Amino acid sequence: MTDTLTAQSAATHVRHRKIKWNTVFDHLVLIAGSLMMIVPLVLVFLTASLPDTEIIKEGLQFKLGDQLGPNFQKAMFESSGFTNENTGMVMLKNSMILGVGFAVGKIVLGMMAAYALVYFRLKFATFAFWIIFTTLLLPLEVRILPSYEVIQGLGLMNTYTGLIVPLIASATATFFFRQFFRSVPEELVEAARIDGAGPVKFFVDILVPLSQTMIAAMFIIMFVFGWNQYLWPTMITTDEGMFTLVRGIKQIVQDFEGSNIPEYGRANLLAIIAVLPPVAIVVFFQSWFVKGLTESDK
Amino acid sequence: MKRAGFAVTWLPMLLLLPQLSIIAVFFYWPAAHAVHSSFFLQDPFGFGSTFVGLDNYTDLLGNAQYMKVAGFTVVFTLLVTFFSLAIALLLAVKADTVLRGAKTYRTLLMWVYAVAPPVAGVIGILMFDQSHGPLTEFFNSLGWEFKLGVNYNDTAFAMVVVSVWKQIPVNFIFLLSGLQSIPKSVREAALIDNRSASGRFWDVTFPLLAPTGFFLLIMNITYSLFDTFGVIDTVVKGEPGNNPMSLVYKVYVDGFRGNDLGGSSAQSVVLMVLVLALTIFQFRLVERRIHYT
Amino acid sequence: MKINFALAAAAAFGLSAPAFAETEITWWHAMGGALGETVNQIAADFNASQDDYTITPIFKGTYEETLTAGIAAFRAGEQPNIMQVFDAGAATVIGAKGATVAVEDLMKDNGVEFDINDYIAGVRYFFADNDGKMIGMPFNSSTPIMYFNEDALAKAGVEAPATWEEFASVTAPALKEAGYVPLSQSHLPWIFTENFFSRHDIQFANNNNGYDAPATEIKVNHPAIKAHFQALVDWKDAGLFEWYGTGWGDNAAPFENGEVAMWLGSSGSFGGLLKKVDFPFSAAKLPYWEAVTTEPKQTFIGGAALFAMAGKSAEENKATAEFFRFLTSENTQYFWHQQTGYVPITEAAYDVAKKDGHYDRFPAAEVGIEQLSLEAGEFTKGYRMGFYVQIRDVMNREYGRILTGETDVDTAFEAIEAEANKLLARFAKTQG
Repeated sequence: MTDTLTAQSAATHVRHRKIKWNTVFDHLVLIAGSLMMIVPLVLVFLTASLPDTEIIKEGLQFKLGDQLGPNFQKAMFESSGFTNENTGMVMLKNSMILGVGFAVGKIVLGMMAAYALVYFRLKFATFAFWIIFTTLLLPLEVRILPSYEVIQGLGLMNTYTGLIVPLIASATATFFFRQFFRSVPEELVEAARIDGAGPVKFFVDILVPLSQTMIAAMFIIMFVFGWNQYLWPTMITTDEGMFTLVRGIKQIVQDFEGSNIPEYGRANLLAIIAVLPPVAIVVFFQSWFVKGLTESDK
Repeated sequence: MKRAGFAVTWLPMLLLLPQLSIIAVFFYWPAAHAVHSSFFLQDPFGFGSTFVGLDNYTDLLGNAQYMKVAGFTVVFTLLVTFFSLAIALLLAVKADTVLRGAKTYRTLLMWVYAVAPPVAGVIGILMFDQSHGPLTEFFNSLGWEFKLGVNYNDTAFAMVVVSVWKQIPVNFIFLLSGLQSIPKSVREAALIDNRSASGRFWDVTFPLLAPTGFFLLIMNITYSLFDTFGVIDTVVKGEPGNNPMSLVYKVYVDGFRGNDLGGSSAQSVVLMVLVLALTIFQFRLVERRIHYT
Repeated sequence: MKINFALAAAAAFGLSAPAFAETEITWWHAMGGALGETVNQIAADFNASQDDYTITPIFKGTYEETLTAGIAAFRAGEQPNIMQVFDAGAATVIGAKGATVAVEDLMKDNGVEFDINDYIAGVRYFFADNDGKMIGMPFNSSTPIMYFNEDALAKAGVEAPATWEEFASVTAPALKEAGYVPLSQSHLPWIFTENFFSRHDIQFANNNNGYDAPATEIKVNHPAIKAHFQALVDWKDAGLFEWYGTGWGDNAAPFENGEVAMWLGSSGSFGGLLKKVDFPFSAAKLPYWEAVTTEPKQTFIGGAALFAMAGKSAEENKATAEFFRFLTSENTQYFWHQQTGYVPITEAAYDVAKKDGHYDRFPAAEVGIEQLSLEAGEFTKGYRMGFYVQIRDVMNREYGRILTGETDVDTAFEAIEAEANKLLARFAKTQG
């Protein structure tokens, strides 16, 4: 009697454990994945707390040193240039302007163009479509010298316009909004027309609010893309007050003929600082972001 | 075009104007400039130039090194695309299954999305550093003498790993949202029809993910071809040497570093043609595969 | 910015302007990190030393990025007054007549005394034209020398080798025995190619190394250098030499952490080594092959020079000349030399350093200057080859393949010769 009971409970126990093992496995995979993504960043962060000479001798390390405060102070408030204009704070501001300006510019232009392509009968719509979409895949790196000359010719060196506008000359956002608008039910337009709404009213009152989550998702993607630019900002900013964070990091780790100690601590910390705002935005807008993406690929 | 569109013509023109003019000034004009330069050999300062016809192109296509770079680019693109999608898919499926901690995992897995490619590259060279990189030490303990920057294949491996690492979050987010958008009713029906979890996945979930997956495929190919520039540049430490590199990096090396305007313009044009072909192909497929309401 | 504001304010309030009427000039350079800070210090000192001119140094990335940015800016008419150009870019910038104002002309036209013989022998002609007129002002001048770990050599009971024969038969085996990797180096095209040719006084390119007329043929496929690379391969197999990749730091790091006993680097690496290593170290001249020459010559200067860009107003050129005067002054040169380890470019500055006892304190700091002051040979002035940045890329690629066993020395040098000559032919057409 007692034996059978024990056997039975053992059996249920085993079944329980079996089901649990499956979940445990799922969690193990996720934990492994999360570790793979996060550990390098943690290492960089920890290493930023060590003195530069130690970093050079020992590389990345799993321990917290006492240099975090001084390195942070140096990274944020001390200039690494001549004019005292490129402190971490200033670079942070410039990166922010570049990220936001780029994202907003792209979204506004992209929505306008996509609206025109999807909702109007235009003879040259197909042609315009191709003109715009050819730009989709060719990055700035490939046409950087002529682009630089254009910016010089227009006198836009060391301006936010020169920094942002050429990067906007690609159609990713237009593509996304086109896809999204095409998934909007046709009845909406018909209803709007019956109500006597013109194209402008329809766009502003119906389509834009409807696109909210999509706009949020685009904003995140574009903000991160703009924020992370390196080569273009290096080319067109000669004024230290215009440097961005990513450019600043590269400047610090640049080491010639080994004659000096690169300030790895400072660079690592700047790298972490450079990651934080985009992460904050991604995490903050997370739910919108995911929703927006879900709707975009319908 | 929607069937039920508006008939006004001035408005769409006005709406398209900003985008078209920016593209004209900052995309087509420089692109045309590149096409023009590709027929010349030009002094970088602009003092002298010689018209050489198609020489820049024939020099390229007859160059074994260029072909090697092209070959590497193809392999690299395939590997990065495959692994970043496969790992992201595995993680997304698991994150979709678990009930506890899903949000925490999602947040943790998203972080790297925000890392700039050059910064990812810097992290990569620290991890794979020859003397004291944690990963190098790990490989050494397995008996694999990993040598970044010396061994071509090891360097290629590091480039792929860093590029995949950087790309997983985007794929993860898209795939997870794709999974979560599959209606509950479909999942429940599948649960009844198909007992095995993996069978359910391949028969029901995977096909429903296909539109997302296809879109991601394009995004990942573009990423591997172009956006890995910053990763490659930092991993080779700006000195290509005997290291692997991609076609875009080669344009940069010859044009930007080496000041060979004609040669690098020809390379840009070759890339443009390739990309154009790829774009046409993709849009044909996308338009056919994905049905819009 | 601030000065513009001050000017505007002065104008607006009708103040007397002279105190603010400074001529502003810009200087684009490639000195990152702590080197950049030394550059900034020099600029600040210049600005503080007088009231007429203000110089603003701007870091523009790597040497290559700086050159490209400068070229693009020149084409758009927005060039800086001074641009730093590295050794491999010399042919590009000197070849483009009209892009720069020769430093010698600039100085003389603006009443700054100039005599090329004031400069250390080895730095005079590298950035000069074929008539010996100095075009670029050598700035961060360095030359490859051999650093060694004194503890390691003492433990092995050997001295730094003067010749490669000595290295192969005596030094290296003893160091290996003592548990060290005997040797590494940091820049194969620079140390083991360009300076191999100057140290052994072998012609590197036709037309007098490209000085008399643009070089159309590289002479790199030479038995002496091929024998040298074959020796490297053999040494590597025997554990007497190691190669850690194309990156500079990758080859320096094992020396800095004591694994490698001797390292060929730049004389400019001295300052950094002092901060990084915790063993006693010193330096010796670059070894040579006794089988090739018994009279080794001076080496080329590496590093970079400052070029005065053309198309600037007379006042700005005057300011540039004044800055060069300041830069070449004994004290500035000595400051730069002490801070960075780059060699002082004038004999006078060298004397100041000697008198100050700098070399008694740091004997290794003098090796580079001594090597640059050795007897000149027929082919030790320098070399001038177009698209040389790409030629270096080809060398790096093929050398990497040799040292990883992917190719053999003969095939590799044939490939370098063929590709380099093709690049030279292409470059010739850009000048047409």
